[in-house]
Amino acid sequence: MAGTLALTKAELRRLMHNKRYFIFTVGFPVILYLLIGRQVSAQAYGIAFGAYYMIAMATFGAFSGALNGNAQRISQEKKDGWIRQLRLTPLPANAYVVTKILVSLATTIPAIVIVLLLGRFYGNVHLPAWQWPVIAVTIWFGSTIFAALAVAVGYRFPPDQVQPITLIVYFFFAILGGLWFPLSGFLAKIGKFTPTYEAVKIGSDVIAGAAVPAGLAIGLVVWLGIFVALATVAVRSTAESV
Amino acid sequence: MSQYETGHGAVTATADDSGHRGSRHSGSVVSFENVSKVYGRLRAVDGLTLDLRAGETVALLGPNGAGKSTSLDMLLALRKPTSGRIRMFGDDPYHAVKSGRVGAMLQSGGLMPEVTVRELVELVTKLHPNPEPVATTLKRAGIAQFADQRVDRLSGGQTQRVRFALAICGKSELIVLDEPTAAMDVETRRLFWNSMKEEVAAGRTLLFATHYLEEADQAADRILVINRGRLLADGTPAEIKARAGARRLSFRLGHVDEPFLLGLPGLVNLEVRHDVVQIQSSDSDATLYAVLDAGYRPSEIEVTSLGLEQAFLAITAEDDQTNGTTHVGETN
Repeated sequence: MAGTLALTKAELRRLMHNKRYFIFTVGFPVILYLLIGRQVSAQAYGIAFGAYYMIAMATFGAFSGALNGNAQRISQEKKDGWIRQLRLTPLPANAYVVTKILVSLATTIPAIVIVLLLGRFYGNVHLPAWQWPVIAVTIWFGSTIFAALAVAVGYRFPPDQVQPITLIVYFFFAILGGLWFPLSGFLAKIGKFTPTYEAVKIGSDVIAGAAVPAGLAIGLVVWLGIFVALATVAVRSTAESV
Repeated sequence: MSQYETGHGAVTATADDSGHRGSRHSGSVVSFENVSKVYGRLRAVDGLTLDLRAGETVALLGPNGAGKSTSLDMLLALRKPTSGRIRMFGDDPYHAVKSGRVGAMLQSGGLMPEVTVRELVELVTKLHPNPEPVATTLKRAGIAQFADQRVDRLSGGQTQRVRFALAICGKSELIVLDEPTAAMDVETRRLFWNSMKEEVAAGRTLLFATHYLEEADQAADRILVINRGRLLADGTPAEIKARAGARRLSFRLGHVDEPFLLGLPGLVNLEVRHDVVQIQSSDSDATLYAVLDAGYRPSEIEVTSLGLEQAFLAITAEDDQTNGTTHVGETN
């Protein structure tokens, strides 16, 4: 465990040097919120548009941060032989993946916190105090779904293929999950099964004061299970080529 | 001929350490028992049996594609043998690696980018249970002067030294190096072997793969010659040279009696062109005396040492002749 923490610390220090990462995870959602978030009269999912868009953008930042940076890094580190080098140390076999998930959890925090602050002070979203942590933690844990997917993609594909793959996945779940605009009609029928929609809907149901359907939470857990399984298969099947 | 002849892996537990320098353990550090690795129809490693004792410096010598890297990968738990058994410090490879008793440097081991050399060495040092102080590692590997540079901005030779630092920072009992000097310039290579000698003097066991013969000759006290996944020879550099007929004897002879020459002691290879006789011999003295004793008086006698290179070529060529020449591709 001490080794895993040492590696996590080193990874976090690395990330501090990386400005591009923060543009993607924090910059994009902040800009989008500044442009679109303050629509005073509009509503979405039964709550004020500004509140919906705050949840959507926090989710967007956290999920894209968990997926994009991680998948690319894992794939590159596999290609460079860093994963192989770590396997020659006393670090336990699963420590590398555990570290990537921990780092992902740490790095999604700025996006979530900044967008929620923006919602409160720029978007005039007023909520009972307990709702803020509930929304933040839902998105935070939800982002591990995409951290697991990042492991699966990063282990399975070479760096030059990871970029387009994560981009497609990112757009797919952002649009179909209703992160950029609320879903209606046909898109809503398919989109409601996406983890991105489920995360946003849990938050908006909390704000609307409605009972959160168990299906949404179960949905998130199922997605997590699927991507963890994919990641496990990817890691195991590439064990001899790492 | 060699005290390390293949096929006696079973006696490792009682192997005596006489003749080996200061060892902290007696007995086997590494043992391969009939280990094979098969990729489809390719036998990258084919029934390899060997054992290393504490304090030895052993070179795994073979041409590209001989199965050196695959063997080391299996030893380090990066790949699983198709059959056979590998033990390290009496444990399976995975647990031996995780105990921190092995430090390794492989050809394809990358480094973490975006951190400084010092940060990286500190990190890997922390992963080991009983490490060397970071400052010592930096000094030994000759990387202290660029310790604050970023890892991804180093030259090839500098990178190789950092990777060497990672192999020694854990103060491990066994050090495994796959083609360690491949990317090094001459000066770095000299520095590298000097620091390697210190490691060995401290009682470590060293196993390195190489296709540089002079490196095996100079650095190792035991050489394992491997070709097409099989162990062909195992002994001291002198023994390996002797086995292949390490000297060439040439002379002129008025009347050449080929059947007589073929019966000479120590003869490994014979070439006759007109009155010029060339003999490759494992014991050139005995060969020459036999010629003289038979009453011949050859002229222009020359005895030259073949060196390890020709010995190696002779051993592998002999193997390729008897076993076909299909080479298995290097697997990484």
